[in-house]
Amino acid sequence: MNLVVCLKQVPMVTELPWDEKTGTLRRDLAAGMMNPACKHALEAALQIKEKYSANITAITMGPPAAQEILREALALGADRAILICDKLLAGSDTFATSWILAEAIKKECPKFDLLLCGAYTSDSETAQVGPQLAEKLDLPAAAYIEKLEINGRTLRVRRLVDNFRETLEMEFPALVTVSMENYEPRYTTLVGLENSFNENSVIILDAGALGINASAMESQGSRTKVRKVFLRKTQKENVLLQGTAATVVTEFLNKYQRKISAAIGKSIEEIKPVHENK
Amino acid sequence: MQFNPCMKHKLIRNSVRHFAETELAPIAAEIDRNATFPRDVIEKMKALNYFGLQVPKEFGGAAMDSISAAIVVEEISRVCAAVGLCITVHNGVAVYPFLQFASREQKDTYLPKLASGEIIGAFSLTEANAGSDAGSVETTAVKNGHEFILNGTKIFVTNGGICDLSLIFALTNTDQIRLQSSVFIVESGFPGFLRGELEDLCGMRANPVSSLFLEDCRVPEKNLLGKLGDGMKIGLATLDNGRIGVAAQALGIAQGAYEAAVKYAKERQQFKKPIASLQTIQNYIADMATEQAAARLLLYRACSLKDEGSPFGCEAAMAKLYCSQVASRITSLAVQIHGGYGYSKEYDVERYFRDAKVTEIYEGTSEIQRLVIARSVLSQMIL
Repeated sequence: MNLVVCLKQVPMVTELPWDEKTGTLRRDLAAGMMNPACKHALEAALQIKEKYSANITAITMGPPAAQEILREALALGADRAILICDKLLAGSDTFATSWILAEAIKKECPKFDLLLCGAYTSDSETAQVGPQLAEKLDLPAAAYIEKLEINGRTLRVRRLVDNFRETLEMEFPALVTVSMENYEPRYTTLVGLENSFNENSVIILDAGALGINASAMESQGSRTKVRKVFLRKTQKENVLLQGTAATVVTEFLNKYQRKISAAIGKSIEEIKPVHENK
Repeated sequence: MQFNPCMKHKLIRNSVRHFAETELAPIAAEIDRNATFPRDVIEKMKALNYFGLQVPKEFGGAAMDSISAAIVVEEISRVCAAVGLCITVHNGVAVYPFLQFASREQKDTYLPKLASGEIIGAFSLTEANAGSDAGSVETTAVKNGHEFILNGTKIFVTNGGICDLSLIFALTNTDQIRLQSSVFIVESGFPGFLRGELEDLCGMRANPVSSLFLEDCRVPEKNLLGKLGDGMKIGLATLDNGRIGVAAQALGIAQGAYEAAVKYAKERQQFKKPIASLQTIQNYIADMATEQAAARLLLYRACSLKDEGSPFGCEAAMAKLYCSQVASRITSLAVQIHGGYGYSKEYDVERYFRDAKVTEIYEGTSEIQRLVIARSVLSQMIL
């Protein structure tokens, strides 16, 4: 079985400043890491490999430093890694990114059975690249999957949508985007890390190698332009409740009834009597 | 000359940091308070090769370069110094002598198990009357047929409470003229190998430091490491290497305290502004940042000399001396920046402060490091 996992390097911190002119993140200010959901997608691929035996290709587009997450993927158990790296492709939006990834996959892994992506990235959170990639490669696809099983050439996936669990089946070749619900990523072994740097197994492709030039970028490239970026302002408030423990807890429960219910997922009326009985 | 970390070193740092923050950060304060060795996490670390950092691949190790190995120790110690101590002692002074001095048979027998963590190692030189004066060991080893009979007491043995194997320094009198120390590979299951109570220490409390008693302990002749009388040679070479590990550990503690202090200084409001905006605090932070950067370069220089195969004893002593002093200063400043909260067990800097001190003491006190450095400097023709 041939698996392709699409990965993205994201900044390690969540609050990065924006470049006011381009509306993109100042990624140069923070160290990069493998996007968490991508790590879950890779873990799903690794579990398939362990269960059914498979060959895993990890692929990413990014600056030369993005090689780091490919080495990590190799350390974790991927067999091959591809970096698409070219200044011409910098600043691509999801539309352009999915097109470039599709071109690279057609060229480098035409015989894939299953494509796995993270459901979304921690830096831009659009969740678009996976589904757009399915569109460009004309594949059956399911986003936000929690679990997958393979039976011959049939893929069965489970996912949670609008508070319903649904199970879908599709035939290979197919694409899934993996949520962070299951497939808890394993830790990298130190032997794996060492080995990932001993082998020269990261293939680097520039735009030319994919047959992409400036005019193709013009027609197939980014369709969106960020007009304005702003940070949502949040305000903290300190509230001091005074009195005996019993009165303070009652007051707290009454005052924040709705918020507590939302946080614990059940009505506050269920816990109130427990407190009052005490 | 390369001063910036390469991609491999960055990735190793990130990976180990992720592991330490996920597995050790939630328990570090508790295992310190209760002085418990975190066996579950140690099991995970075994599976991830933390016990075979520089063991060649043929024996199942990770075969890392010395900077990579130092980064691993730094990152574990940044979160939990006591666990950092466990792996730095195991790798730095228990496994290293096997790599340097063991026979092929000894390597085949022990290295795969040491590298996988199936057996955890210790290094037992220190005795009640032999600390800085390593030549004054009183434990004896008397040849009896194909065995040696060991008698004596080792104190302050890191990993002592849980080790499966320890390198024991003991006096042998084979030439009948003068007593010389030799090193024996002693498994904890050998008859006459006994452990003392765990020490109640100021810092590194989650490491099971204990005494070891050898009461007519019978050790097979084939478990002599190196040759008879090689004790001093093996001891000094091993401590040179161990000092790189302790320097890395001290640096990790300093990094943890420094990060906590910077974070706190940005958050803590006094005089209606964050204390990080006060020049006094900024001076502290600038000193911490500078000293730490200098310490790191000194450490990595010792590592790269070692990897080149050049003598590195003097540089390892410099790194150990400086990193441990920096760790003590930075952890002290971190407590100072935290004010009263820093003196409370509620904040990690209190633990870092206690953990840092011993890095100036074990594997050669700062005074002994200066002795090593001065000897080396004074013996050089070109300075």
